[in-house]
Amino acid sequence: MVSTHFPWLTTVVMLPLLASLLIPVLPDKEGRTVRWYAFGVGLLDLILMVFMAWRYYDFSNPEFQLTETYSWIPQLGMNWSLAVDGLSMPLILLTGLVTTLAICTGWQVKQKPRLFFFLMLVMYSAQIGVFIAKDMLLFFLMWEIELVPVYLLIAIWGGPKRRYAATKFILYTALASIFILVAGLGMAFYGDTVTFDIEALRHKDYALGFQLLAYAGFLVAFGVKLPIFPVHTWLPDAHGEASASGSMILAGVLIKMGGYALIRMNIEMLPDAHIYFAPILAVIGIINVIYGALTALGQSNLKRRLAYSSISHMGFVLLGIASFTDLGLNGAVLQMLSHGLIAASLFFLAGVTYERTHTLMMDKMGGLAKAMPRTFTLFTVGALASLALPGMSGFVGELMVFLGITTSDAYNPTFKIVLIVLTAIGLILTPIYLLSMLREIFYGAKNPEFKPEIGLRLDAKPREVLITACMLLPIIGIGFYPKLVTQSYDVKTVEVADRIQDSLTLFSYDQQPFFTAIAYKAQPFFAANPVAPPIPKVREAKVM
Amino acid sequence: MMEPIYQYAWLIPVLPLLGAAIIGIGLLLFGDKTYQYRKSISGFLVFLVGATMVLSFALLWSQVQGHAPYTALSEWATAGDFHLKMGYTVDHLTAMMLVVVTTVAFLVMVYTDGYMSHDPGYVRFYSYLSLFSSSMLGLVVSPNMVQIYIFWELVGMCSYLLVGFWYERKAAAAACQKAFVTNRVGDFGMLLGILALYALTQTFEFGEMGDRLQTLVQSGSLSAALASLCAILIFLGPVAKSAQFPLHVWLPDAMEGPTPISALIHAATMVAAGVFLVARIFPVFEGLPVAMNVIAWTGAFTAFLGASIAITQNDIKKGLAYSTMSQLGYMMMALGVGSFGGGLFHLMTHAYFKAMLFLGSGSVIHGMEAVVGHDPVLAQDMRLMGGLRKYMPVTAATFLIGTLAISGIPPFAGFWSKDEILGSAFAVNPALWVIGWLTAGITAFYMFRMYFSTFEGEFRGNDAEIRQQLKNENLQKLGLAFGPGAMNSQELTLEAEHEAEAHDADHGAHSEFPHESPLVMIAPLMVLAVPSVLIGLVGTPFANYFEEFIHPTGEAMPTLAEFDWTEFVLMAGSSVAIAVVGIVLAYLMYIKRKIDPAAIARKIQPLYQLSLNKWYIDEIYHTVFVQGTLRLAKQVLSADIKFVDGIVNLTGLATMVSGEGLKYFETGRAQFYALIIFAAVLGIAITSSVI
Repeated sequence: MVSTHFPWLTTVVMLPLLASLLIPVLPDKEGRTVRWYAFGVGLLDLILMVFMAWRYYDFSNPEFQLTETYSWIPQLGMNWSLAVDGLSMPLILLTGLVTTLAICTGWQVKQKPRLFFFLMLVMYSAQIGVFIAKDMLLFFLMWEIELVPVYLLIAIWGGPKRRYAATKFILYTALASIFILVAGLGMAFYGDTVTFDIEALRHKDYALGFQLLAYAGFLVAFGVKLPIFPVHTWLPDAHGEASASGSMILAGVLIKMGGYALIRMNIEMLPDAHIYFAPILAVIGIINVIYGALTALGQSNLKRRLAYSSISHMGFVLLGIASFTDLGLNGAVLQMLSHGLIAASLFFLAGVTYERTHTLMMDKMGGLAKAMPRTFTLFTVGALASLALPGMSGFVGELMVFLGITTSDAYNPTFKIVLIVLTAIGLILTPIYLLSMLREIFYGAKNPEFKPEIGLRLDAKPREVLITACMLLPIIGIGFYPKLVTQSYDVKTVEVADRIQDSLTLFSYDQQPFFTAIAYKAQPFFAANPVAPPIPKVREAKVM
Repeated sequence: MMEPIYQYAWLIPVLPLLGAAIIGIGLLLFGDKTYQYRKSISGFLVFLVGATMVLSFALLWSQVQGHAPYTALSEWATAGDFHLKMGYTVDHLTAMMLVVVTTVAFLVMVYTDGYMSHDPGYVRFYSYLSLFSSSMLGLVVSPNMVQIYIFWELVGMCSYLLVGFWYERKAAAAACQKAFVTNRVGDFGMLLGILALYALTQTFEFGEMGDRLQTLVQSGSLSAALASLCAILIFLGPVAKSAQFPLHVWLPDAMEGPTPISALIHAATMVAAGVFLVARIFPVFEGLPVAMNVIAWTGAFTAFLGASIAITQNDIKKGLAYSTMSQLGYMMMALGVGSFGGGLFHLMTHAYFKAMLFLGSGSVIHGMEAVVGHDPVLAQDMRLMGGLRKYMPVTAATFLIGTLAISGIPPFAGFWSKDEILGSAFAVNPALWVIGWLTAGITAFYMFRMYFSTFEGEFRGNDAEIRQQLKNENLQKLGLAFGPGAMNSQELTLEAEHEAEAHDADHGAHSEFPHESPLVMIAPLMVLAVPSVLIGLVGTPFANYFEEFIHPTGEAMPTLAEFDWTEFVLMAGSSVAIAVVGIVLAYLMYIKRKIDPAAIARKIQPLYQLSLNKWYIDEIYHTVFVQGTLRLAKQVLSADIKFVDGIVNLTGLATMVSGEGLKYFETGRAQFYALIIFAAVLGIAITSSVI
């Protein structure tokens, strides 16, 4: 297929990458031009994406849109094939926003500013590339390219343990991504036709055994990224050691790739295997929620606590994905968007605080509220958003996931009750670690150990307030009126949910392994009937 | 004809929100510079709340005239076939609550101008107050459970912000966190209850939810036990919000916040939200006797528990806090025995007289601070007060009115509502009545103990010996006071705290005797005195207009039994009698000194200690839950670092790369690594395509 329209997607992917090539030759004596240049490019790309979404993208269409396919390396069968749908559109907008703000965050980077901004722009391109690649190989290529700048960002501009953290990050994700390649190639060569096109791969008819293998492979790869227990341990190191810009991108965008790819590859392409894996995902989701919250509470390093809280929040994404309902999937996507904004703003604020205190250990801080009232206010808003306070986006995402599980017709009531009750325990743990974080940093009398540099203005500067505001405003906006965002991808999540429901009707309840037998209802459920008839409801009630 | 005010009723929560947002953004942008415009800012916000008050009165008037309930909805969130709507509803219950909330909020905001006049956080305080008013009003007009939950958490957040308003005080920092987390425990149950009821009834709407649930139970397709379990889960929300046992522990600590919010949030409005919610979803509870019993007994026990602790409190605000808890227990008990009107009637009368009592205590503290300085340990302790009536006559008079009202002396407001509750409790279960009746006596005793030791006798504020004793006691106590989530006990650097407070205390002490508060503070007291005396008259048993107005819409009015004078005299007489016994005891102990309270305390030492230490509930919770959670968290973290990380690292390294490779990466030839990746990707891609 050759597209006749203006190649919007190629433009938004390539713009930052091409622009980054100019950075080494830019005339720049004081390090001022480069940052304005990088910021300008980032902003321009974001504006282009918004314009594209607003002008050319049809929000009521669940299919791939703005598709561009050019033959790239015909010998490999590899096409330069890009497209967006309801799943990727909100995520690339999030990427644009967070990355542009991360560029702003690195405004005062002293060490190798050219390399820093160069890497930021490369990463910008690669991240968008991951979300809009419509070709499996291209997806993999982008996935790998994006690792390099992140590795360098951690290794060069990170904290004291940066080498260890960066190496750990690259080992985990690079090793895991081999599974993408293996599973992807397997799918490409499966059957009669060889294709790397994601849409074509979706329509292939895979045998169940193959599906299960491919699903498991993808799950390892994307699970490391998301991250899921027990392969999450790279994350506290990476997030904890990266500079503020790095953490913002890691928490804001990178881990969303895991969730995105789980929906794009695992659910959409391998729906039959998803039925076998969904209960496992749900259980891992619970472990993520509770385990992440408990470890966060145990941490006394500010950025590590936030990192563990990301693990906890990503558990909701897994639960939403495992729910078999459009409501749950919608919640999972919303939770990704919302966590992207919230985590990025919290990491940014942690960076602001670190710049002043030169420590991340919360027991060395204390009583900063008086000296930093603006930071205190913004941090409070961010923490409240993160603990899913209604009126902000986190609440809506989590509520929808809860409702998704509640209304799920696939699971039996006992399993649902266990899921919901355990997840809800996370709701009690979250405020404990977030509010004690605020208390330890800002409340109380000033810590006598804390001696700021003389003449340093402690409170957040206007630039810093502005950056946070750019993230908090959408957080509050979504919280006030979630329909604003959810309707932009609702058709897509409904379509995905319908696909799994279809697979579920064909699911053989007689020959299921024990772990799904525990979770599912004994009788098959008929997806054709969206409103549950009153009599099964009643039966369900009795079982409860 | 009245339609327009209904169409614009959404302004009620929105106006204060707008005000709070504008001022909040101003604060964020301009910081301390806003302070010079503080009077205009507070004027603006008070005006907005005043406007909502006028609207609320108009709505109440229209509802009294018999206008049909009005609901407006618009779609808020969608996913596939699922549509969640938000909006507002105005019916009799809402209209009554709107008026109660807006009047108290308005008066408290006026009062705040005086109380907080010298506080550097004046502007911030007003914007929080405005935000709270907005959330509370949003809660009251909610048409469904999800919206209630939303605003339920938002009022909790405002409470968090306001309790922790003086963030430099360690105690405040611990208290606000404790309040939020304890409320989250309740919200946890409430969310589960909402989800369970949604799964069963497919609706979030109050009336439908109740109807469908009853149908399910009656048709036998849903066991009553399970339905009751769902109802009790929802009831956990009100248990936390309305400070019922066992989730009451946050309320007394919340007194660390400035007094105006103790009056508004922790006495009149937010804590009553639990009672409001139970009333709102009364259709759900009504047909479930188990759930109703749980509510009634929780209420009765809380009423007694609160009163039994209030008896030994020396901090005037803590005393009032336990009294609030106890009165909320009465309201819950009323709802539990099915007296919908009685519970709400007490909610209304209590809102007015308790707000007045709290504002009165604020006025006392304000006066005391002139003598002892800005140290809550000294300024709030009744052992340093006494004889204040001479110096602050208006405060004393209004406080006395409030004390009479809460003690249940006719014709003050509290008498009528409490009498109605005790009457309905007696009809259902005399044991509940006995608890309520005893509690009424204790209430009268501790309230008059409070009144006498504050306003009568000699002024003790300049007694250096008592001052020193109080400071020492406080230091001892500090070692024990933590909130949930307090990280470790070493945090409480006692000396630093002590120094900071001693330093504070020297400031502001500028006079030998307290003085009456400014007009802007005593005017709200005088205004509140009017309903405290008179509002009970709308619900007398011989002409119960309140009951007639408030009864659940869509249900037949309960046929009021023919008013029986003998029964009334018997019931009311007994409750007045025990109140008088309490008052006389207090008089003998604290005015005439005929009975020595210390001697009694010595005689019943274990009981005295139990009450003084709040039944040791805080200590138990601290050991079991707070420290337990922290220990668990530490253990999980160390397992994560040592075990999970170790195993994954090990398997990863052993199978995938050699130690040599890792060492090479560690030395950091990053650029080289980039090349490797690129080469690997291309290589694999090429080989795979060739094959």
